[in-house]
Amino acid sequence: MTNPAIIEIKDLTKIFKNAREPAVNGMSFSINRNEIFGLLGPNGAGKTTTISILCGLFSPTSGKVLIDGKDLHTELSSIKNIVGIVPQDIALYPTLSARENLAFYGSMYGLHGKVLKDKIETWLQKLGLTDASKRKVSTYSGGMKRRVNLIAGVLHNPKILFLDEPTVGVDVQSRNVIIEHLKEINATGTTIIYTSHHMEEAQNFCTRVSIIDQGRILIEGTPAELIRDNAGSTNLENVFLNLTNRKLRD
Amino acid sequence: MMVKLLATVKKETLLLLRDKVGLSILFIMPMALIFVMTLIQDSAFKTMNEKGIPVIFVNNDRDSLGFQIEQGLRNNTLTSFSDSINGMPATAEMALKAVGEGKFLIGIIIPRGATEAIRKNVSHLVSETLNGADSANQKLLQLQDSVEITILIDPVAKQSFLTSVTSSLREFISEVKTKIMFQTFSSQIAEVIPDKKNAPKDSYTKSQIISYKEIYASKAANKIVPNAVQHNVPAWTIFAMFFIAIPLSGSILKEKNEGSVFRLNTMPTPYLLLVTGKVVVYVMVCLIQFMLMLSVGKIFLPMLGLPILVLGNSLLGIFILTLATAFAATGYGVMVGTLATTEHQAAIMGSLSILLLSALGGIWVPSYVMPEVMRNISAWSPLNWSLEGFYKLFLRGGHVSDILPDAIKLLLFFFATMGISYFFNNKKRTV
Repeated sequence: MTNPAIIEIKDLTKIFKNAREPAVNGMSFSINRNEIFGLLGPNGAGKTTTISILCGLFSPTSGKVLIDGKDLHTELSSIKNIVGIVPQDIALYPTLSARENLAFYGSMYGLHGKVLKDKIETWLQKLGLTDASKRKVSTYSGGMKRRVNLIAGVLHNPKILFLDEPTVGVDVQSRNVIIEHLKEINATGTTIIYTSHHMEEAQNFCTRVSIIDQGRILIEGTPAELIRDNAGSTNLENVFLNLTNRKLRD
Repeated sequence: MMVKLLATVKKETLLLLRDKVGLSILFIMPMALIFVMTLIQDSAFKTMNEKGIPVIFVNNDRDSLGFQIEQGLRNNTLTSFSDSINGMPATAEMALKAVGEGKFLIGIIIPRGATEAIRKNVSHLVSETLNGADSANQKLLQLQDSVEITILIDPVAKQSFLTSVTSSLREFISEVKTKIMFQTFSSQIAEVIPDKKNAPKDSYTKSQIISYKEIYASKAANKIVPNAVQHNVPAWTIFAMFFIAIPLSGSILKEKNEGSVFRLNTMPTPYLLLVTGKVVVYVMVCLIQFMLMLSVGKIFLPMLGLPILVLGNSLLGIFILTLATAFAATGYGVMVGTLATTEHQAAIMGSLSILLLSALGGIWVPSYVMPEVMRNISAWSPLNWSLEGFYKLFLRGGHVSDILPDAIKLLLFFFATMGISYFFNNKKRTV
């Protein structure tokens, strides 16, 4: 029988050099296959650090992580083949066109020839970028860059997709297109792990969320469960503010 | 793996082709440098050769010594002879002032009665010799220095240049003095012993007892003549090749700043493969640079009346050494790009370190004129290994076996820089 959890995290801790507090402090949770899992928290809560560890960007100080049954510490290279990431910052070459960027990143996942070409064509069409695809990315609007940034992370049909604030700074139209296509990707069997400060978007998009602060999980459940269980909350934003308090964060 | 490598090479090529400033640094700047440096050096030598070294001559002797030195200087193509300043016959004071003001590079003052003094000394010597004095040989040596000729030197003139010019002058003046002494000595002997065999002869003045023949000790002596082109083309080509460290390190840091490295680190592609893509492209750039530089030496410099670049005996040797230099330069660029944290830092670190390595390596000043301490340090500069190798090929007519040690050192330098880059890249990721 297949393990329902695609990601299992146990006592995950990350303490950066010269840091006074751990960025991630003994976090344990699991994410099921085909979920859209929201990792929500204020600035400095540990969201990006957690995602970076799960993507293999740096090692945890302690704890165990299993991804699709494989140990992150010992089987990182094979895990990288099934993972896709859409980083918070636009990770594209500005002087290359969208097609050239996607061809390069697709090749880094081992795609090539007609398969790669067809995938690029399909995704450019889906996200309305065909006409601009030969222009340098530096000439694109913020929304267009976000869309190319997304394609670069999903071109190889990853089993797990990490989205670090994928819609930050884009117009409503681009955001809707991105969210719709993410739902489509999820429908094909991709598990999505998503971070955002946009609570309304998280409430509508995620099947389950975890609110974290100071490297610890404060609460976990479906958006509906969290709203129901937190007296006086009518939406996820109320829950978030009640749990993380209203004090400004750096 | 090959698909990934080819994709990386294609990406690097596209990035480079679209970086107009980077391209100009890589190709136009070094070509301009070769043109300018070679033309300046060649014209400096030409000016000296065509117009001659400006010499002011003060002949207070008005006798054989003075006239013969004057005649020698007038006939010498290396000197531009003057014995007057502003239309007035030059005096010692005027000559001192004019040389001090830089109007002449050298001044020569022959003292009053110099020839007469030599004659008197020789007569005295002849008398002593004939009277059986044993110390005649020693006195002869003293005699040559008994007349003091003053050589004035422009304090601004370069010491190394002056040393060679003044030594030639001293040699020439000494020769003239010896001739006069020989003539006087012969005449004196002839007066005392009126024998045919001892009659004064001018054979000494007509023939040289010792003659000199200068041959460049090159294995291709028949075709390689050292000149500004043979020296400058390899020197500035190496300098330009190492200058790729700036655009290369810049491209590494740009990838970091633009977030591409973040994404690439999450992909199933090893760091070394990504770096290899860069190395392949920039090594190719170095080879193209080298071809362009050779074309400057072979085609464009001769168009400006400069000597044509002669490649020596071994094209294979040139290829091996160029490839090794290209790898060393690329490895250095990768290392700078890995160690620096910002593009600005990489640009400063890259340019200053290359200037330093090139100065130490003998690009600006030949390492053989450096003090011993600096020469020992120079032997550690990869630019010096490359330059020495190219001099072996371009000036000494060397073969592959001659440059192999230099090429091996350059390749070891490449592996060392790549190792350092790999180590620090991993260290930076272990936060």
